[in-house]
Amino acid sequence: MAASDSPSAAPILDVVGVTKRFGTFTAVDAVNFGVRDGEFFTLVGPSGSGKTTLLRMLVGMEKPTSGEIRLRGKVINDLPPNQRPTCMVFQSLALFPHLSVGKNVEFPLEIRGQSSGERRTRAWELLKLLHLDPHRYYDKNIAQCSGGERQRVALARALAYDPEILFFDEPLSALDARLRKLLQKELKDIQRGTKKTFCYVTHSLEEAMVMSDRVAILRAGGIEQIGRPDEIYASPKNAFVAEFMGEVNLLPVTGGGDSTGAWDTGRKTLALALPAPLAAGVQKKLLIRPESLRFLRPGEVAGNRVPVRILNEFSLGSRIQYHVEVAPGHTLTVERLREERTTATEAELGWELADSQLLDA
Amino acid sequence: MLVTRTQRIGFSLYAGLVLLVFYFPLLCIIVASLSKRRFFSFPYPSEQITFKWYQDALNSPQIAEFFGISLRIAGLTAFFSVLIGFFAALAYARYRWRGRQTFQRLVLLPLFFPQSVLGLALLMWFNFLHITPAWWTAVIGHTVWITPITTLIISIQAYGLDDALEEAARDLGASRWQILRKITLPLLLPGMISATCFAVLLSWGNFALSLFTTGADSALPEWLYARMTTGYQPLVPAVGVLSVLGAMLLVIVLFTVVAWNQRRTRRLTAAPE
Amino acid sequence: MKTSAPVPAPSADASGSSLFGALAALPFGALMLFGFVAPLLCVVWFGFMPPKTFALLQAPTLANYVTIFQQTYFKSILWSLGLAGLTVVCLLVICYPLAFALAKIFRGGASFVTYAIATSLFVSENIRLFGWVIGFMKNGVVGGTLATLFDAQVDSLLYNIPVIVLGMVYVYLPFMLFPLALGIKMVPDQVREAAFDLGASRWQVFRKVDLPLSLPGVLIGSLLVFVLSAGAIAEAKILGGQKVVTIAADIESEFTYAQNWPLGSALSTLFIGLTTVVVFVALARFDLEKLLGKKRD
Ligand SMILES: Nc1ncnc2c1ncn2[C@@H]1O[C@H](COP(=O)(O)OP(=O)(O)OP(=O)(O)O)[C@@H](O)[C@H]1O
Ligand SMILES: [Mg+2]
Repeated sequence: MAASDSPSAAPILDVVGVTKRFGTFTAVDAVNFGVRDGEFFTLVGPSGSGKTTLLRMLVGMEKPTSGEIRLRGKVINDLPPNQRPTCMVFQSLALFPHLSVGKNVEFPLEIRGQSSGERRTRAWELLKLLHLDPHRYYDKNIAQCSGGERQRVALARALAYDPEILFFDEPLSALDARLRKLLQKELKDIQRGTKKTFCYVTHSLEEAMVMSDRVAILRAGGIEQIGRPDEIYASPKNAFVAEFMGEVNLLPVTGGGDSTGAWDTGRKTLALALPAPLAAGVQKKLLIRPESLRFLRPGEVAGNRVPVRILNEFSLGSRIQYHVEVAPGHTLTVERLREERTTATEAELGWELADSQLLDA
Repeated sequence: MLVTRTQRIGFSLYAGLVLLVFYFPLLCIIVASLSKRRFFSFPYPSEQITFKWYQDALNSPQIAEFFGISLRIAGLTAFFSVLIGFFAALAYARYRWRGRQTFQRLVLLPLFFPQSVLGLALLMWFNFLHITPAWWTAVIGHTVWITPITTLIISIQAYGLDDALEEAARDLGASRWQILRKITLPLLLPGMISATCFAVLLSWGNFALSLFTTGADSALPEWLYARMTTGYQPLVPAVGVLSVLGAMLLVIVLFTVVAWNQRRTRRLTAAPE
Repeated sequence: MKTSAPVPAPSADASGSSLFGALAALPFGALMLFGFVAPLLCVVWFGFMPPKTFALLQAPTLANYVTIFQQTYFKSILWSLGLAGLTVVCLLVICYPLAFALAKIFRGGASFVTYAIATSLFVSENIRLFGWVIGFMKNGVVGGTLATLFDAQVDSLLYNIPVIVLGMVYVYLPFMLFPLALGIKMVPDQVREAAFDLGASRWQVFRKVDLPLSLPGVLIGSLLVFVLSAGAIAEAKILGGQKVVTIAADIESEFTYAQNWPLGSALSTLFIGLTTVVVFVALARFDLEKLLGKKRD
């Protein structure tokens, strides 16, 4: 499943120490990564982390302050966007409002000087590939298209350019959840079908996990972690990455010199067993996923146990999510199967050491 | 978009060139107004620099009268065009009513109209009504031409107004008239001030309309025109410069009054009850 | 409770607002009826009065229009329209790059240039034109400078057609520049970037994206300048020195020297009619909404 297994694992795009400053503000800070030929690579980060800025440098719309961008080994820092074999689907899509759907798709072909017959055939093919019936859509006005249709037109137009790498800047962020899911799947299918390299930007790790072969997590202009989605999920490098993945519990612990740590909740300090030794006085975060926490029956053995008060419960379908309080202001999230539902207000919470991880704050 | 340094420099040079050409005539006038000779020729030695023409112009009762007439016309025009423009802007941008779209389309029509023809039409109309044109008929002419502009300026501000403000005032029990006086008017004040500036200045410099509508009275641009078309007169550049200075002075006075007024109201509103 | 109180129906509220809208528009409407519509009707009507009369209530006649077609007035109409057309073309060429820079390239400098040009609107057109007279006349600023620098003897540069066009270009530049800049500002940056990204050269981006999308600004600016400069009177007189007689000058002299108001009115009517036709044809040929892809049919 992962692209690293495929034979063409050589990087097509190399980003080496790329930095971008606006005045004194550093939007992208010495970023390094490589994108491999034919993979679906995704940059994830919260708003303002520099995703768009990074992408604009990769397509040539912005010049890096320092660092190198190499395409197949050749430095392309100074190549303007119209001479790069790359192409971007904008956050706003940037369709040409004065051209029809068909003419939008044909635009790059027209620029290249293809005959109108060739252009039309190609546009027709691409519209079909994107599930837009050419008979209906070819002459349609952009203003008359729905959000999802525009999305597809933008993708068709980018594919018509036949780029070596296709960049996407959160193209699905404006759509509703269902349509977004559908288009995510289609995007992935098209990437598999065309074997093109896709480099995608989003602020939703969930979206990244669905589509990507590899994911890079961006934070304040720097990359925190790069890896396959399952790798990142299984072993987030630090608390920021873990937190970014959704609802997880991160307990601040202070090392006790051996494999124990203290969790200061203000009213009382809990002694916890840690999965790895932690030097005395060192502060780290202990990651425990909600599904790794369970309510202990009397006498049940667990690596760690903590008395809690159950505050409330939410139904997630087949599962139930609980918010429990360890001490005032310190809550944890627990997720259990519906069969294990509990109605108690006081309980003992337990988890196994192997299910927890020590992370840098 | 990537804009290269050379492009930025190129466009800057071009803009500079356009501005230079644009201000060249004004420079010429200033140069000419300072020349002692009765027949201007350039260049002239520095000992021939004189303020004589300015003195002549300032001492001439006739020119003072032209200034006075222009000032009167500008003042009244500004008053009426901003007053009418204020309500027209409400109709244009605030209220939803049936004729609104038509109104919006027609408002600008007088602007697209050659002013000389409009002036003539007014002349005949006044003649038909047995009105002898005088400086105050010019006020009507100027107001017709300038009110669409003030309307537009105030409308731009009115569009920016948050609907919720008026609705909130209404919810708190204010009548429409109270809303107008206590909410809308103060909020539109900046727009009305710039509209006043525009009105004063446009009226001050207007020639094409004044030419036909002032009758026996003569506004400054008309006097200048009459002198310009009959050969060179050294007084003309001096009066021209004075007229420009007059316009600048008007604006400065207007802004000072406004700033003073705003400070005063702020002090009043800031003071504890 | 709010819900139990009788809530005014939305339509009632709307009609109240409607009344206020009409009331607010009333003073403006009255002004325009009195100061714009009535005078124009007056002109049109007067054009049908017997020549050289001053009363409005006589039997209508076509005598004035017959005179116009028998004499050479069409020449001045052609001059006016031709000069106006030439002015529009020159201004488009001069202003587009500047408007583009204002809208897309300059940052702080844009407002400086805008103010510098807008300020000129407040200086009487005559004064500014007179500046050119001083610049271009014999021994004027230009001639004098050339004479001292290069020892070249330059005669007066005034009183020819290029100078008239220069004067009109100069006076009406703001009326082209600002609509253009607004039009170009409306072209979304990302759309231009997308074209660039899809391989278009700068020239292609201009031709295929900038120009079509800024066409509303081009159209408005051109029409404004065309109408204003077709009716211009001062440029030809002050700079052109009667070299060409424009229709506006013809009309003026009918009213002043010739004292033939009906003929002047007929000329005005004809002129108004012609410019209106030009404006309407231009507006109809370029369906703005369609150009912008805003139309949903
Ligand atoms: N032209 C610019 N001038 C100054 N600062 C800029 C410029 N462009 C971006 N920035 C700053 O750089 C930072 C990163 O911006 P960027 O648009 O790359 O964020 P992003 O990760 O794409 O965010 P989002 O998810 O909201 O799109 C932001 O703090 C932004 O304010
Ligand atoms: Mg972004």
